[in-house]
Amino acid sequence: MYGLVIDAQGIKKSFGTLKAVDGVSLQVKPGECFGILGPNGAGKTTTIKMLHGAVEPDAGTLRVLSRDVATQSRLIREQMGIVPQEDTLDRDLTVYENLWVYAGFFGIAKKASLSRIEHLLDFMQLREKWDSQIKTLSGGMKRRLHIARALIHEPKFLILDEPTTGLDPQARHLVWQRLRELKAQGLTILLTTHYMEEAAQMCDRIGIMDGGRFLLEGEPQTLVQEKVGDEVYELKGGASAELLDSFQGLSVTTEVVADILYLYSHNGMGVMEHLISCGRKDFLRRPATLEDLFLRLTGRELRD
Amino acid sequence: MLFPQAPSHRAFRVWVRHLVYYRSFYLAEWAGNLGEHILWLVAFGYGLGRLVPNLDGISYAQFIGPGLMVSVAMWNATYESTYGAYSRMRIQNIYDSMLMAPLTVGDIVLGDLLWCASRALIGSSLMLVILSLFGLVGSLWAIAILPILFIEAVMFAALGLIATSLAHSFSFFNFYFSAIVMPMFFFAGTLFPIKGLPLWVERLSEALPLTHAVRISRGLFIYGYVENFIWHFSLLLGFTFLFLIVACVLVSRRMVE
Repeated sequence: MYGLVIDAQGIKKSFGTLKAVDGVSLQVKPGECFGILGPNGAGKTTTIKMLHGAVEPDAGTLRVLSRDVATQSRLIREQMGIVPQEDTLDRDLTVYENLWVYAGFFGIAKKASLSRIEHLLDFMQLREKWDSQIKTLSGGMKRRLHIARALIHEPKFLILDEPTTGLDPQARHLVWQRLRELKAQGLTILLTTHYMEEAAQMCDRIGIMDGGRFLLEGEPQTLVQEKVGDEVYELKGGASAELLDSFQGLSVTTEVVADILYLYSHNGMGVMEHLISCGRKDFLRRPATLEDLFLRLTGRELRD
Repeated sequence: MLFPQAPSHRAFRVWVRHLVYYRSFYLAEWAGNLGEHILWLVAFGYGLGRLVPNLDGISYAQFIGPGLMVSVAMWNATYESTYGAYSRMRIQNIYDSMLMAPLTVGDIVLGDLLWCASRALIGSSLMLVILSLFGLVGSLWAIAILPILFIEAVMFAALGLIATSLAHSFSFFNFYFSAIVMPMFFFAGTLFPIKGLPLWVERLSEALPLTHAVRISRGLFIYGYVENFIWHFSLLLGFTFLFLIVACVLVSRRMVE
């Protein structure tokens, strides 16, 4: 057994005047799935690149799989699988060649990699594409192949940077399904994503990142309940000052966004009864989600 | 570890990757190589050669034979380490994917250099076959040129990788080719003897890495004997190591932020 999979203390990275990562501390235990959420430009990808040595931190200490990243990156990468955000498949090679050549980078001989490759092609539903050129694959197939490639050496730890961005719903569900299976097998996983619901279901803990640091970190359900509430009511058509005032004392947080009034409630049925007594029945009532928390923490303005 | 990006035996796996790709087009390349080599030999050796008097009792075609072998190695290594490597590094993100596996920048650079040199060696070997078919090879020692050309190709591949690590687009290579490679090609004594040209040209030629590969090759090709072999060979090795180290440092700077 080994200690923490990730142990980062106060890591920082600047590009020129931009503080991409500004003091991140993070501990991830074996078998855990940790999700980093954050708007574009929050520092997620830079954080991930520091974990596998593609970006060197300016400050802080960073240990992965109980080894120092600055000096032992090669040994760490022997036991780590990485699925990057951008396409890094080898377009000069076929699907099968991509896998056995990559296995070679881990010191696995071609013959020894064959059964593993067959298993992974089945697991990621790519078997009939084994002899295809990379350019003939769809976006979903490419992402699945990336995941298969990252698993070729049976890593202890898998990193995925936005594994489902740009995929159609079918492909997205398949990817999340497979990641859940890997997690159930005991693989430690760190991922970034914009899909809040999937992250909430999949991750033991999440961290919400913005401006190069974590704003909040913990179990998704607990965080939502503590910081947002149990339920959300949405009222279209805005709200009068009297209506807003009338919620005082009901343990409700209000937020007006354009023509929608959001009520974040800790109060169970109380809010609904109050709304009906005010003559408002045109509301939408739903459970509070991670997305509510995310938007309240990071704001609603566009980032790019 | 003192040098975390130092090369290791895993460089061989990078070389294997390039070989797997090469398998998909090598026949076309060999055919192209053969045609091009014959064209050069006929156009220069026999076309232009008709106007050139014998040099020290040697026909012009025989004089440029080893020069052509050396320049084939140089051009092959240069193309592969500029256009080829730039595409792998900047367009296709292949270096990035290798750095996510347990490879170092040193492995990638060394693997690329060995690959460039392997391809160059194939090209030069084809040239040697053609030259012998034309009856131009003066000594069996000509075979010994091949390992020398392998080193020469590693050197040019390293120089090409240096250019690649400094390039921000393919057009940078126009500059590299016309300012560095072409002058080297002409003033290293590949197509005409440097002896007898103005003194400063002779001095300049002596400082060019390619010159030493040409001297060794011409000696082996025609006489089976090289004057001042140790001197030329040491310079060739020296330049190769120097460029290799600079290439490792510059590519590291480009790949690790």
